[in-house]
Amino acid sequence: MFFHIVLERNMQLHPRYFGRNLRDNLVSKLMKDVEGTCSGRHGFVVAVTGIENIGKGLIRDGTGFVTFPVKYQCVVFRPFKGEILEAVVTMVNKMGFFAEAGPVQIFVSNHLIPDDMEFQSGDMPNYTTSDGSVKIQKDSEVRLKIIGTRVDATEI
Amino acid sequence: MSGEEEENAAELKIGDEFLKAKCLMNCEVSLILEHKYEQLQQTSDDPTNSVSQVFEKSLQYVKRFSRYKNPDAVRQVRDLLHQIVILTYIRILARYQLAEFELCVLGNLCPETVEEAIAMVPSIKTRGRAQDDEAIEKMLNDLSLIKKFE
Repeated sequence: MFFHIVLERNMQLHPRYFGRNLRDNLVSKLMKDVEGTCSGRHGFVVAVTGIENIGKGLIRDGTGFVTFPVKYQCVVFRPFKGEILEAVVTMVNKMGFFAEAGPVQIFVSNHLIPDDMEFQSGDMPNYTTSDGSVKIQKDSEVRLKIIGTRVDATEI
Repeated sequence: MSGEEEENAAELKIGDEFLKAKCLMNCEVSLILEHKYEQLQQTSDDPTNSVSQVFEKSLQYVKRFSRYKNPDAVRQVRDLLHQIVILTYIRILARYQLAEFELCVLGNLCPETVEEAIAMVPSIKTRGRAQDDEAIEKMLNDLSLIKKFE
């Protein structure tokens, strides 16, 4: 599910970026640092939509760097266990199939695919019902329920 | 992470932070991301280089699964229709006392029957707001009026 939330981050800026464009430099560095990242708590940060507040800068002892606490609004994608959503199938094999919902990778084990669907190998491996009415193959759109999430260092 | 073990969207256990947060439907995200992409196109020679893969994949996803596409309409008209859609959702939210998360799942998946709706969002039945089938049916009818804006 997508959410619009406010997050906070301490941004360190080298003095070469001070001056007229300090704020712009801070904002572009924020976007570069944060967009596309992922955390277990907030999910994927898809896009920064605005800056809510930039606090006073604090000069670090020993270096010339300054730390600014920045509050920003962003769109995040955070899947929840028990959530039902739609996804696009990316790969099918006899263990099950892989699908993608936005930036998130999903794996559906064949144990959780309805019993009346059989795996068919071939050029376009797929799961099909016995009467052929429903077929799950690459690029099919499926609706599924998330039963568990796992967070790697950089993705869910 | 504490609390993650009990996490369960079916019971609306998604943590305080997200229960209070603004939930976005795919069609809304589509507008936000397209707008951002257009801005990037104006300021950079190669916007595809300046957006992350997460952004690209998300944009593709919400465009594909957006219920309210109207590619031929002029942007201003689309924005107006979008505002009407959002106001209708807000009224539904208030009238049926749904959580934003519940409304967004229903808005994204568009169930046609009460059984479908309860299967997709079990919490509308269980959160103790005396939601009988009749009330849920009325709510689905209200939601389906929004389809007229497709």
